[in-house]
Amino acid sequence: MKLKLKLSLFNLLSKLAFTGLFLILMPFIIERINLSQVDKDLIQKRELVISQISEIGIEPFMISDSSDAFGSYNILKEEFISLERIDLNENWNFIEVTPRIIEGEEIEYRVLNYSFLIDGQMYLLEVGRSVSSIGVTAGNIRKVMLIFLIFIIVISFVTDLQYNHFLLRPLDKITGKLKKIGEPSSFDKTHVDTTTTDFLQLDIALRELMEHIDLLFKKEKEITVNISHELLTPVSVLRSKLENLLLKDDLDPEISEKIEESLKTLHRLQSLVDSLLLIARIESRQYLREESISIREVLKEIVEELNPIAQDAGIDIRYDSDTDHKFIKANRILLFSMFYNVINNAVKHSSCSGIINIDCLFNKNKFIVNISDSGIGLSIEQISTLFARFKMRNQNSGEGTGIGLAIAKTIADFHRIDIHVTSNSGKGTNFSFIFPEIS
Amino acid sequence: MNVLIVEDEKSLADEIAHFLKSENFLCDISYTGLDASEKIAINLYDFILLDLGLPDYNGLDLIVEAKKTSTEASFIIITARGAVEDKVKGLDLGADDYLAKPFALVELLSRINAVARRKFKVTDSEIILGEFIMNVPSRKLLAGNAEVDLTKKEYDLLQYLVLNSNKVLTRHQLYEHIWGNMLDDQYDSNFIDVHIKNLRKKLNFHAPAHWLETVRGVGYRVSREKWVISKDHDET
Repeated sequence: MKLKLKLSLFNLLSKLAFTGLFLILMPFIIERINLSQVDKDLIQKRELVISQISEIGIEPFMISDSSDAFGSYNILKEEFISLERIDLNENWNFIEVTPRIIEGEEIEYRVLNYSFLIDGQMYLLEVGRSVSSIGVTAGNIRKVMLIFLIFIIVISFVTDLQYNHFLLRPLDKITGKLKKIGEPSSFDKTHVDTTTTDFLQLDIALRELMEHIDLLFKKEKEITVNISHELLTPVSVLRSKLENLLLKDDLDPEISEKIEESLKTLHRLQSLVDSLLLIARIESRQYLREESISIREVLKEIVEELNPIAQDAGIDIRYDSDTDHKFIKANRILLFSMFYNVINNAVKHSSCSGIINIDCLFNKNKFIVNISDSGIGLSIEQISTLFARFKMRNQNSGEGTGIGLAIAKTIADFHRIDIHVTSNSGKGTNFSFIFPEIS
Repeated sequence: MNVLIVEDEKSLADEIAHFLKSENFLCDISYTGLDASEKIAINLYDFILLDLGLPDYNGLDLIVEAKKTSTEASFIIITARGAVEDKVKGLDLGADDYLAKPFALVELLSRINAVARRKFKVTDSEIILGEFIMNVPSRKLLAGNAEVDLTKKEYDLLQYLVLNSNKVLTRHQLYEHIWGNMLDDQYDSNFIDVHIKNLRKKLNFHAPAHWLETVRGVGYRVSREKWVISKDHDET
């Protein structure tokens, strides 16, 4: 999930949580506020009544002796005032919620009770306001609040999203630059325009890092070239000298043979340097992958090339599969070399009447080449060191530097091809080349 | 033919000169780029063998200079720098061929000859090998009226031996010529032996080919005397 969406979602969730909490607590709060307001009103009314009584006396309220109570309520029974005589020893002074029956209708009231002494008689004053009239205002407030909060949340989510998008645009640009690069030299070096210092620092750090890596790559290339020059020059001097010697007339056959042996040894040195250079060059990306090649054509060419040798050794190379794969972004020479090394290796390690099978197939969008031999197979330890440089399976095989499979592996990595090796001791070895998924 | 060898590695330059002199070339040697630049300005050369890795001079500049003074010289670039860019640049500047160090002297000779044939428009015609006729332009080997059915590799092998007749070629020299500088360590002398064996089988089916000799412990050779003798023998 993208950072800006995550941020906006987090904001939304936290707002929802706070709003929810507020909505749960709001009734209690509003009730408290309302009650204290109502209580204030009730006390005010009580003061009003008391001040009237002290002005005009209690008599006008207590018209007849027969009735020892006075009551008055407004037309909607929302409020009432009552006065009654009570015993001297009773002392009431509190506010409570209590039901009253007025004209046969039971209504919940918030009632202020207040007892006072006039002319040696104790009176109880009750001032009440119906609870439902309080509730109506609380409910109204809650409704308005809810609509308002939802509105606020929606608006703020949209603006958050927009703002985050705007704020994180430089980061998008930086990740975009990283996505596009195949190697450090192709890194887009343009500055990202931003006022956010974090992004500025990130951009600068990345650019410096890429420049540094690029420089190291270039240095490595230079070293490769220099080593190749330093090592191959003495080899070529020796080679020319020996070849000139060999061309002399009337050379003793024994000496000829010795010279040829020296040339062979020299060649091993040369091919060793060549192989190491090749690996170094592939790893420092000095080869291009710009060709589109048919794997079938490459395999056919290799089989044709190796067939005379295989037939001479009584080995049968079978390649009947018609399945082909147009591999784009390839280097033909390198891929040829990769398959050649593996198939030639199979030929070398097969005994007479051995069979080498080459099979191509598609599995879930991936092209796979299987090369299997009927040789003696490999142990697990042998498989684990198969692609290591200079670890030959058969140390007595004489020629070759034991680096052929290491080269194949380097080329495979370069083309993002996976190599899987399976082997049954005594039943042969299978190399699977799994090509990158076709998009 | 006049050849200028531009190579800072003294002993290598001397060996190349020694070899080319034995092949009847007239050789000059420059160990520095500056010296080469002067020699090119004064003398006329047919070939310039140019090492690109000169310490005092960018080898590619020498090509530009030489082309300006309208020399007729053909350039063959020699370098240990196997980098593709150098090769492309050199060939773009008008070099005729490219050899990576270390190379076989016979390979150098065959490249020079190939460039010379192109340059002087020499059309290879037919080479008579005892009972066989090698038709170079059509890349065919005929035995009487019948064509000997050779694979591409077998033909290449035979032609290389024939063009370098009377020289012993090692298996490695043959391998390198035919497979190029394969990008691996799979040089296998057995390859050449198998191809020669098949080649002999095919030749012997038509007529004996004693001229294709195995030199024990060294390699193979096509002997000019023997093919002439068998030819004479045939005619008499």
